[in-house]
Amino acid sequence: MSKIVACYKWVLDESDIRINSDLSVDFSKAKGKISDYDRNAIEAAVKLAEAVGAKPVGLTFGSSKARQSLKDALSRGLEEAFWVKAEEAENADGAVTARALAAGIKAMGDVALVICAEGASDTYARQTASRIGALLDLPVVTSVLRVTVEGNTVTAVRKLDDCLETVKFELPGVISVLPEAFQPTIPGLKAVMAAGKKPVTEYDCGSLGVNLVSARKVMEVKAYAQERRNIIIEGDNAAAKVAAVVSNLKKEGVL
Amino acid sequence: MAGVFVYSDKSGIALELVGCAKAAGKEAMVIVFSQEAAEEVKNSGADRVFILQGDNEVPENYAQAVADFLKEKSAELFLVGATARGRDLAARVAGYLDCPMASDVSAISFGDGKVTTERMIYGGAVTQKEELTGLSVVTVAGGKYAPIEGSAEVETVTVTPDNRVQLVERAPVERKGVNLQAADRVVCVGMGVEKEEDMQMIRDLAAVLNAEIGCTRGIAEEKHWLPPEQYIGISGAVIKPQLCVSIGISGQVQHTIGIRDSKVIVAVNNNEKAPIFKTCDYGIVGDLYEVVPLLIEELKK
Ligand SMILES: Cc1cc2nc3c(=O)[nH]c(=O)nc-3n(C[C@H](O)[C@H](O)[C@H](O)COP(=O)(O)OP(=O)(O)OC[C@H]3O[C@@H](n4cnc5c(N)ncnc54)[C@H](O)[C@@H]3O)c2cc1C
Ligand SMILES: Nc1ncnc2c1ncn2[C@@H]1O[C@H](COP(=O)(O)O)[C@@H](O)[C@H]1O
Repeated sequence: MSKIVACYKWVLDESDIRINSDLSVDFSKAKGKISDYDRNAIEAAVKLAEAVGAKPVGLTFGSSKARQSLKDALSRGLEEAFWVKAEEAENADGAVTARALAAGIKAMGDVALVICAEGASDTYARQTASRIGALLDLPVVTSVLRVTVEGNTVTAVRKLDDCLETVKFELPGVISVLPEAFQPTIPGLKAVMAAGKKPVTEYDCGSLGVNLVSARKVMEVKAYAQERRNIIIEGDNAAAKVAAVVSNLKKEGVL
Repeated sequence: MAGVFVYSDKSGIALELVGCAKAAGKEAMVIVFSQEAAEEVKNSGADRVFILQGDNEVPENYAQAVADFLKEKSAELFLVGATARGRDLAARVAGYLDCPMASDVSAISFGDGKVTTERMIYGGAVTQKEELTGLSVVTVAGGKYAPIEGSAEVETVTVTPDNRVQLVERAPVERKGVNLQAADRVVCVGMGVEKEEDMQMIRDLAAVLNAEIGCTRGIAEEKHWLPPEQYIGISGAVIKPQLCVSIGISGQVQHTIGIRDSKVIVAVNNNEKAPIFKTCDYGIVGDLYEVVPLLIEELKK
């Protein structure tokens, strides 16, 4: 059975990032998660696979930490997970990431459609789908709001800055879906239990022949300084709080 | 030929990017895919305009052709306007060249065979400075650089586009033209509002404040209660009003990055743990259905 592949990334949760007084960034307390919009991409793969009788699978390029993602991803309706493993994934740029994912797609074989999300919640580079398409020389459609597959023909409506554009292409191909296109469902207990029994395939970057060398160097990582007063208005009731805020705003000259 | 090759599906941004390259003392060449687009950029002060001529109406379908062209011209940088189309074409070109790419950069500087860029990561919580070596691709949003003037020679090159993705139909989307960027006051509304009818309350608040209305992505893209150009954040608009009043918004960084240049931020949320209270100047912990009518009343006084 041909595969519909959802590419998902295991990322650090940005809400756990701590900022030191010198604006350096402390990631040590940050937990991992499946990148927010990648859950929508997984949903897209599950729904489209169901509609055409294909097999929905997940693909991630990640370090040993990404092991935690597999069960989570599989509980969302995917039938198999593929993991292209390399410690270098944690600092990989778009070029290396796309090479690794393209190699994974080639290795798993019989892929009809590759689905990425609009952008990852850490990089939000919005480049991976297009790059994978180029590396595999497949047709690509990005910014997809609606998509249907009939036989081998994919029809997609793209949401662009000034128009809705309907396009079509013949499988195989690569798409990136907007988060609005597919709402992820929260997996139930049964799905979580079943996930542990689903197959996982690990690929080693060395044996896939992935070039992990990048021409991009990270020079500096710095936090954004947030200088706000954070005054929570206390008061006996809502009317008193509202009056206090309005009086403050008048004093500040913004009313 | 070396130099910086510029593309944007929005001619206005292409003009700005030529301005950027020329200000850095670089040769600037503009790539377009039609005669009409060439007309719009031929007085941009670029050194040359190249029409890559083929029989396809979707610019992204020229990615392979652009990649080959950049290699043939020994380009040092492909500088692209960060629109939905621009990002796609740029990334496909980067893919065919298997070269580095920095998306949506906030700053760019040119070195010897290198460019250094700055961009936001983690939804805007962090900025990252990167150095790209060799032929690279960079996308930049509009409004960052000043255009210049000067006529350019136009040259047509015949290329073969990729015809596998076929255009079926294009339906223009009207922009409502709310100028959030220029607004002095903005009322920002989030998913704390339960029903579309309740938006009237928000409109009433905006009216007494003489404010424009902004929102979070969900209000525009999921609920469709406001048009997409009114949502604020890393994938939407960035505002810098004197006063921003945030109603029923949790305050995740992907949204707050768009309001953090406001002079004063007021937030109303019924959850005292909501991150918006770490991003505001004045916070009211309370039910918006109680607080907003009171605010309207107090402001009318
Ligand atoms: C890559 C990426 C890009 C993104 N880009 C954007 C972007 O550009 N713009 C954007 O907005 N989002 C963006 N998001 C989404 C963002 O992370 C948040 O999910 C979103 O901003 C949340 O919107 P919200 O605050 O309206 O909704 P919620 O997070 O659901 O918050 C609703 C809030 O309302 C409060 N509330 C509920 N009822 C009441 C009541 N009766 N009275 C008072 N308060 C109440 C709740 O306590 C809650 O805090 C992006 C996400 C990702 C991953
Ligand atoms: N390391 C990764 N593993 C799997 N999928 C990825 C990875 N990085 C990016 N993607 C996919 O590509 C999308 C866009 O990522 P980006 O181009 O980095 O914004 C993500 O939302 C994922 O669908």
